Amino acid sequence: MQRTSWKSKATSSLFVLPYLLLFTVFLIAPIVYGVWISMHEWDLLNPVKEFVGLKNYLNIFDSDSYLHNLFFEGLKNTFLFVIFSVPLLVAVGLGLALLLNALPKKLTGIFRTAYFIPYSVSVSIVAIIWLWIFDTNSGLINQYLQKVGFSAIPWLTDTPWAWVSIIIATLWWTIGFNMVIFTNALNEVSEELYEAGSLDGANRWQTFIHITLPTIKPTMLFVTLTSTIASFNIYGQPYLMTRGGPGTSTQVLLMNIVEEGFNQRQLGNAAAMSIMMALIMIIISLVQFRLTREKKEAMK
Amino acid sequence: MKKKKIIGAIMATALAIGSLAACSNTDKASTSGDDGNGKKITFWTPFSGADGPRMKNIVENYNKSQSEYEVNMQIVPQSDYYKTVDVAFSGQKNAPDLLIMHTDQLTNYVEKNLVKDVSETVASAGIKPEGYSETAWGAGTVDGKQYAIPLDIHPLLLYYNKDLFKAAGLDPEKAPVNREEFLAFAKKLTDKSKGQYGYVVPTLWPNQFIYPTIFYQNGGEFLKDGKPDYNSPAGVEALTFLTDLIHKQKVSPANVQQDGEVNLFLQGKNAMQFNGPWMMEQWDKAGINYGVAEVPQLGTKQQAVYANGHNFVIPATVKNKEKLAAINDFLKFTADNTLEWAKSGQAPASKAIYEQNEEFKSMVQQPKVAASFEYAKFAPRIANWGQVSDPLWAEVNLALLGKKDPKQALDDANKKADQILNK
Repeated sequence: MQRTSWKSKATSSLFVLPYLLLFTVFLIAPIVYGVWISMHEWDLLNPVKEFVGLKNYLNIFDSDSYLHNLFFEGLKNTFLFVIFSVPLLVAVGLGLALLLNALPKKLTGIFRTAYFIPYSVSVSIVAIIWLWIFDTNSGLINQYLQKVGFSAIPWLTDTPWAWVSIIIATLWWTIGFNMVIFTNALNEVSEELYEAGSLDGANRWQTFIHITLPTIKPTMLFVTLTSTIASFNIYGQPYLMTRGGPGTSTQVLLMNIVEEGFNQRQLGNAAAMSIMMALIMIIISLVQFRLTREKKEAMK
Repeated sequence: MKKKKIIGAIMATALAIGSLAACSNTDKASTSGDDGNGKKITFWTPFSGADGPRMKNIVENYNKSQSEYEVNMQIVPQSDYYKTVDVAFSGQKNAPDLLIMHTDQLTNYVEKNLVKDVSETVASAGIKPEGYSETAWGAGTVDGKQYAIPLDIHPLLLYYNKDLFKAAGLDPEKAPVNREEFLAFAKKLTDKSKGQYGYVVPTLWPNQFIYPTIFYQNGGEFLKDGKPDYNSPAGVEALTFLTDLIHKQKVSPANVQQDGEVNLFLQGKNAMQFNGPWMMEQWDKAGINYGVAEVPQLGTKQQAVYANGHNFVIPATVKNKEKLAAINDFLKFTADNTLEWAKSGQAPASKAIYEQNEEFKSMVQQPKVAASFEYAKFAPRIANWGQVSDPLWAEVNLALLGKKDPKQALDDANKKADQILNK
């Protein structure tokens, strides 16, 4: 008995091995290497990489250093985006999934595909499409606005419009993913619960709040977490649509990290900034996780 | 059954390891260190656009013209070019034997002793400074040593819509040459009822070319005694001139976003625009009836134009004599045979082409590019100009969007640039 269990354990370990190997090579090793780089004065073109310990991190917190501005201004802008985009990504994704579910079965497939297609397009295409739509002087939206007597909106050259545009483009681009996840979760909700609810005379809203939402809670957490992480990694949309403008008000953290790392070749500084960013993301994810779990326990 | 599973798992693992090993194998195969075959040279370029096939033709023509050496050209997309170059330089492996480098990047690599001083080797191969535009050759000279052989200079140009010129009663063959004419033309060409503008002012790229052009024409210098001098009177005048075009002269709409001026030009609603020679093929494809001219003197002091350039450089690690001979032979060939390069709209810096070649002289845009060589000016010579100039572009953007007074914007840009220089 013991022997077979040992054997089966060994077997299952073997199954994990290929993944573990790839995981180590492509994730663990780069992270460790990143931490190592972040503790050096690492100029890509300088063969001497001086070990400086935590100096790069201290520079980020030293308000006299240019790294301080680079990091915290970028972080502020990224936060702004996350705060507005995540609730929308979750709410709109769920809304679309509910709409899809309410459709006759024959139409579901068509609409699901239609909403999902943008997700498969690359960010440069997304940016070009929306640049044309949002163009202040020759874009689609402003042309129509002016036709019905409104004045042109500076979609990409003024705040908060620049953020509005970036969020709209992001929603259009990525909402399909969240929608598909929610659609599957909604299908999992047992019909019996709905039947019981309708017998008790619950209206649509009550059914949604008391049956649908609690059942899809794990999915909700998953979507919120992945959306938050994805939103933190915002880069392509502002880089291509606003170039960080007006001024530097849509210059997000990842743009600054790429600039410091690859244009200025200061890999040590860039690695320190990335590790800081990763830590912030981990903390936020943990908090989100905790909050949802505590609520669950409180309900019990 | 269980055994099969184990074997499967082992095979999957082996496969994974194998594919990793395969990766590293191919890496080794593509290594072209100094010790490879001296008659074969690897040549890196960032020409991933329409200019790629042109350079490819030049290389192929060279390979056909003789049988001793062989040049192998590789294209690394522009957006990844310097990252790839840096990685090659830092690892000192997989490095090319010859590569294209922009003029504004050169200082950085020269200061770190990464590119070769070619003063002697090129002279022995018969490549002479007199054979090139003085401006272009000088861009590759640092402290009396020659680090680069120029391929071209690409300055800012004036593009204008001939149909709109005709409709406004202007001679379509005559472009404005100074500030007064430019303003008068722009006003005549503006017709708000049709949504048509004389000169649409971009607020982002290509201001990295436009603003320095007017700044240099005003006699400004970005760095004075090693310190940024963005907010000099020359700078404030240049930026005020540009913002006035939008808010005072009203020959441009406000809030132009990235590529907004290009879109309007393509739609026939922007009569004039400044851009680089690389735009030629796009205008041709769009079928616009356009004219091209040297930039007018919009500044107050002198004629000048901001430019960048493509140069050939050799990594300092290349020491094999045979290889250097092959490189020099190829460079000598390009000096006389870059007419092909001109077809993408550029003007080669070699006098054999831009001064003596009849076919070149009969082209439309290219001779105008060459005419700008004499007064073209490049970015200041400091290693991290890209970083030091970033605040300037962000503040110019704010001023052109009407969010900041030009003086205030330049003061702020100066302060930030100072902080970066003193880090």
